[in-house]
Amino acid sequence: MIFEIVLPVALTGVIISAAAALKFRDMMASVVLLCAMSLFMAASFYILQAPDVAIAEASIGAGISTAVYVIAVSKTGRREDEKGD
Amino acid sequence: MDGKGSSRIVRNVTCMLSVPVMVFGLYVVLHGHLTPGGGFAGGAVMATFIALFMVSFGKDISRRLDSGPFSVSESLALLAFVGIALLGIQVTFFSNFLANSGLLFGLTVPFGTNPGFLGTGGVTPLMNLAVGLEVFSGLSLILIVMFRSGGDGDNA
Amino acid sequence: MRKGIKAVTLAVLFSLFLLTAVSVHPFGRPPETGMDDYFILNGQEQTGCNNIVTSVVFDYRGIDTLIEAAVLFAAVMGVFMVFGRDVNGW
Repeated sequence: MIFEIVLPVALTGVIISAAAALKFRDMMASVVLLCAMSLFMAASFYILQAPDVAIAEASIGAGISTAVYVIAVSKTGRREDEKGD
Repeated sequence: MDGKGSSRIVRNVTCMLSVPVMVFGLYVVLHGHLTPGGGFAGGAVMATFIALFMVSFGKDISRRLDSGPFSVSESLALLAFVGIALLGIQVTFFSNFLANSGLLFGLTVPFGTNPGFLGTGGVTPLMNLAVGLEVFSGLSLILIVMFRSGGDGDNA
Repeated sequence: MRKGIKAVTLAVLFSLFLLTAVSVHPFGRPPETGMDDYFILNGQEQTGCNNIVTSVVFDYRGIDTLIEAAVLFAAVMGVFMVFGRDVNGW
């Protein structure tokens, strides 16, 4: 039951939040969506029976990486320019 | 991010939360040979407390965090990791000379499923401690140095 | 016109890569080597750890962990070189 229902939901969450992080012009929204992608990734690692990787991904991806991104965004501009790429 | 930080309630809760977060991180590091976890994940759990501290206490107090002790402990932990690996050089470079012997972490493990005994494992708990201290010091150094310098963005 | 050519090329290359990745071996069943049985049978007795993942990471493949710790050290050094203006001594 878990492999047929919960695992496709978690993997779809990874794809949707990663694709939506590219869409916004406000950088804080992209950072929050990257944190959500890391959370879905840790859930799917746990369902695939790899608990060491799940703990490492949850603590590093959703903790340290998000904190470094927030510090970097708060010291530079928050909005992406209209004609920049 | 203004300079004042959060209110007094948040500061008090951060001070009270310091003990459970660090103890949980040390538990994940120290029981790496029995439960899932190990050095890298436990070190990252311990480093999230530094991020919580810097968010709740504001810029004025966090700029005075000194980066000297973290730098010294990171280098010493990596040297200890290489030193433990070199201690068993009689057999090979990374040999586990403490497993199944009578010395420090050298109990023999009963075969099959068992409740974990902390005295087993050989060299792996010592290497878990060294790697956990190194990861905690390194990630804390990154957070401290990035928070202190740079332009005063005054955004977000 | 340029955006159309770019989109079609991207779709063709993506589908070719996906076809190659799926057809190597059946999806979800990795090929067995002789090392998996050796680690599962002898890992608990030789190293004394209940956790076989930790015994593989720190005992059987310890040199890879040493290189990974050195890479983390080099990353911290790189961050210091970019951001370390206010540290006393620089």
